[in-house]
Amino acid sequence: MDHFPTNWGRPRNDAFDAYGTYPIHQRPQNGPKDAFSAGVQRTQQPIVTGTSVIAIKYKDGIMMAADNLASYGSLARFKDVQRLHPVGDNTVIGAGGDMSDFQYIQTLLNELDIEEYTAQDGHSLGPAEIHEYLSQVMYARRSKINPLWNSLLVGGVKNGTRFLAYVDLLGTTYSASTLATGYGAHIAQPLLRTAVEGFEDVLTEEQALKIIENSMKVLFYRDARSLNKYQVATITKDGVNISESKHLETSWSFAEGIRGYGAQTQ
Amino acid sequence: MTSIGTGYDLSASTYSPDGRIFQVEYANKAVENSGTAIGLKVKDGIVLAVEKLVHSKLLVPEANRRIQTIDRHIALATAGLLADGRQLSNRARDEATNYRETYNSPPPLKAVADRLGLYVQAYTLYSSVRPFGISTILGTVDQDGPALFVVEPSGVFFGYNGAAVGKGRQLAKTELEKLKLPELSLREAVIEAARIIYLVHDDAKEKEFELEMSWIGPESNNLHVHVPKDLFDEAEAKAKAALETFE
Amino acid sequence: MTQPVQQAFNPYTENGGTILAIAGADFSVIAGDTRQSEGYSIQTRYAPKVFRLTDKATLAVNGFAADGNMFVKKVRQRLEWYRHAHAKDMPIRAIARLIQTMLYARRFFPYYVYNILGGIEEDGTGAVYSFDPVGSYEREACRAAGAAQSLVQPFLDNQIYFKNQTPAPGTSFPKHLPLFTVLPLVIDSFTSATERHIEVGDGLEIYVVLAKNSDSLQGLQAIGGIQEVTANTDGERTFVIRRDLKKD
Repeated sequence: MDHFPTNWGRPRNDAFDAYGTYPIHQRPQNGPKDAFSAGVQRTQQPIVTGTSVIAIKYKDGIMMAADNLASYGSLARFKDVQRLHPVGDNTVIGAGGDMSDFQYIQTLLNELDIEEYTAQDGHSLGPAEIHEYLSQVMYARRSKINPLWNSLLVGGVKNGTRFLAYVDLLGTTYSASTLATGYGAHIAQPLLRTAVEGFEDVLTEEQALKIIENSMKVLFYRDARSLNKYQVATITKDGVNISESKHLETSWSFAEGIRGYGAQTQ
Repeated sequence: MTSIGTGYDLSASTYSPDGRIFQVEYANKAVENSGTAIGLKVKDGIVLAVEKLVHSKLLVPEANRRIQTIDRHIALATAGLLADGRQLSNRARDEATNYRETYNSPPPLKAVADRLGLYVQAYTLYSSVRPFGISTILGTVDQDGPALFVVEPSGVFFGYNGAAVGKGRQLAKTELEKLKLPELSLREAVIEAARIIYLVHDDAKEKEFELEMSWIGPESNNLHVHVPKDLFDEAEAKAKAALETFE
Repeated sequence: MTQPVQQAFNPYTENGGTILAIAGADFSVIAGDTRQSEGYSIQTRYAPKVFRLTDKATLAVNGFAADGNMFVKKVRQRLEWYRHAHAKDMPIRAIARLIQTMLYARRFFPYYVYNILGGIEEDGTGAVYSFDPVGSYEREACRAAGAAQSLVQPFLDNQIYFKNQTPAPGTSFPKHLPLFTVLPLVIDSFTSATERHIEVGDGLEIYVVLAKNSDSLQGLQAIGGIQEVTANTDGERTFVIRRDLKKD
């Protein structure tokens, strides 16, 4: 998966600003020019974006994390944004990609939740139902060539069953015991797989948190669109808990000693 | 019924010479034939109770509920034609959803009652339709505290501290007036609500009935839910006991 | 100075993986790996690409996963409606034509998926139908599709159709192979594709559809971890075999 939300859903093209150095809306265009461009409706693009979301299964349920940053291109624009959102009593969704589209998704889910609540028929929406709903919405929007520019993780526990799945702007879905969106799909996912695959039923909450913290730290070191302030959601049979924002302890002193590239000559 | 045979009662769009709309008055009659519904507003919440007349022993218990949920924090109880109640509650949900879409905040009850009033009133204007045969009690708890409204078939709505509609409303109102509503706890209000419903039920004339009660308050996290089973049972038992001492 | 123009949103992607199906005289085998990927990333090690439709028909779908899942959902919906209207399962040749119609209906915004339908015809013979994304289809004895089609199809041509082989003097090649020969071919196809193609691997799901009263069941006895998924055991029967493939 490409870690620049701007490139999601577009053909891979190395000629595009690979380092994301331009504000998102004025990136260089290397493709063929459309003579009728003025008369053609522009396809939307992400503007204010969130980066990775990561999540794992562990003994008691699901643990998910995302940092509090919403970027405007390479500008760290909003630094107190919550990207984990509880839905009903058993589910959390985490979003990367366009934050205004994510807010719209939140209002959609709120409406759905109220509709379900007012029916008062003894049914409630669990993580599987919410994921299916989101999949249908995301696929329908991509089919109208008007996508919601996000990749979402849906995690939860209902009736003793853990659920963790992904859906993105194309309507692509999948499920696994470790998931990561955006840059995390490259950096965190291998770490998560090593730590979790085969241990889903034995990892304790403390161990799971260690794994999540470590991945968030690596992401902060390596992802230029990330922040050292993040939240962790845990979903167990007892319900949903989304933590206060946590700060990562990082050390950069090693950078002093690095020679051989950059501005230093000696 | 002086109206009968004069021709002024054939349409909701026609006044009688003395300025009445008979179709609306007939709609009120439909309400009067229905089991009683009451609403109590106390300091930190509201309680709704309904005397649901059971016309057949074959009916599934707790089916055909007359108390419905409009939004997380809004309750609605009707007295009158059951189907009209359904129609109005669906409309109320749409209005609540629409309010949220427009203002991105939970609808205040006054806004919902206002819109429902307009909707009900529109059915008193045309010869092609019949007015709603229901009176509706609406209750909520929001940041401004609890609120209680009644929407009548004419489309008017008023705010109340205690409300009663349907067959036994007169006696129920008398009982409600005796209560010091602002001083009651929500749990006490549930006990009183059950007592009043049992009191106004006329078992000489009516068959079986089922008590239906819901509340909104701190114990329900300000959400509209059924009264918890243990409290419900306690209230019902006390209501039956009170009935014996009353007689 | 050229104005920067945004590149259009691309509603498609490729999710890798490979599927194949082989028809026998009275059985059909439909198989697919379970890896789902995008670019160099493995999205999940288990995302099924082969779906039992009825007791006599199983569909493998490969290409853009979101389209594939939606397409299977719609096909299943149509089959359910058929069942409600006619109180029986749709015959496989009718399912094949239905799939063509559904694919062609989206001729100008196609489902980006290659479909292979396997199962048993009304005359009891094993059948494989293969489709392109816009609905061209034909009945065949075997077909591979997906990321490793170019690796698997020539192998199948050689081993099933005996292409580039000459029979020993005085003998001829069999028209249909028995199940106990076909299953190892399927497994070998996928282990080999896993070795040589990065988008293939993790897991293998093989569906076997047997005609009513087929004695090919004997060939299945030897296979471990086989599981029956038949709804009504008085007619055609469907089995699934799950195996591991290399995860690197």
